[in-house]
Amino acid sequence: MLLNFMSELRQVNVSKTGVSKLAIVALAIVFAVGLFIVGFDQGHIFSLVYGEQAFEDLYIHELTHDMRHAAGFPCH
Amino acid sequence: MKTFLFIVIVLISGSFAGFIHGTVNFAIVEPYLDQAIGIENQNLFASGEEKDTPEFWVEYEGYRAWQKSGQILAGIILGTSIGALFGIVFALSRNSLPGNNDVKKAIVLAGIMWFSMFLIPFLKYPANPPTVGDPETVVLRSILYLSFIAISGFGVVGFYKLSKKFQNNKRLVALIGYGVFISVIFFAMPENPDEITAPMDLVNEFRIMSFLGVTSFWVSIGVILGFFWKRYSPHKETTKSYT
Repeated sequence: MLLNFMSELRQVNVSKTGVSKLAIVALAIVFAVGLFIVGFDQGHIFSLVYGEQAFEDLYIHELTHDMRHAAGFPCH
Repeated sequence: MKTFLFIVIVLISGSFAGFIHGTVNFAIVEPYLDQAIGIENQNLFASGEEKDTPEFWVEYEGYRAWQKSGQILAGIILGTSIGALFGIVFALSRNSLPGNNDVKKAIVLAGIMWFSMFLIPFLKYPANPPTVGDPETVVLRSILYLSFIAISGFGVVGFYKLSKKFQNNKRLVALIGYGVFISVIFFAMPENPDEITAPMDLVNEFRIMSFLGVTSFWVSIGVILGFFWKRYSPHKETTKSYT
């Protein structure tokens, strides 16, 4: 009886497979931001600091340019 | 679930796999990018937009060095990003995936995501080197490409859930359902509007190398996250002592 009870307690502790919602939100943000940086930024992120000039400089676009092509993203 | 451990191993797995992807690209894709950009330069000279001067080449070498230096860094960023999605899907689907250990389960999932989110979209909208692509259509092409990936990915999830309602032949139902669905979408989606003006040999060889590079990522993310998951078991609660 006691052994069964102990076994059930142990199962409760090790068999919960519910995925943390916090982790899902955090990883979803990483996914979206990373995808935007590599696949789609045309100066948008740096424009938050440098304004319109960032759309001319395209630093992130140029930095990710080769990966964009290689990974199949439309580039230009 | 050990939340912090889960996030950490997912991010590390993604960045490792992305590093491998970037390194493979650096080795096998860069030569084709250089060739394609060389053609682009010749077109600029022929059209009179640029002049073949030492100043042009100094500026060119400068930005090409910046672009090349970003290949591996961008690989790590993209790998971390796609790895984050892979981690979420793996955590949610782990109990349903076939395989008797986490490495096998992760490799199976990587194969499913490679097929549905890369191979099928790649067949419809294959990668193109520089010189191919009209800047005026880049937004349309981006929408088409992302939409197709999303439709294909959600299609797999949808038909998997639908198949659970059947008593028998669940996998067959899911496979046939997805196959019919994605075939219809494949032919219904508009074609890439841009004409290919670069030599087809160059374009095809570039596509093969691009294919190998992306495939190296999916193999890596499955193996690496699978090993980390098997080693650290982030799905388990911290065991408390009752003694």
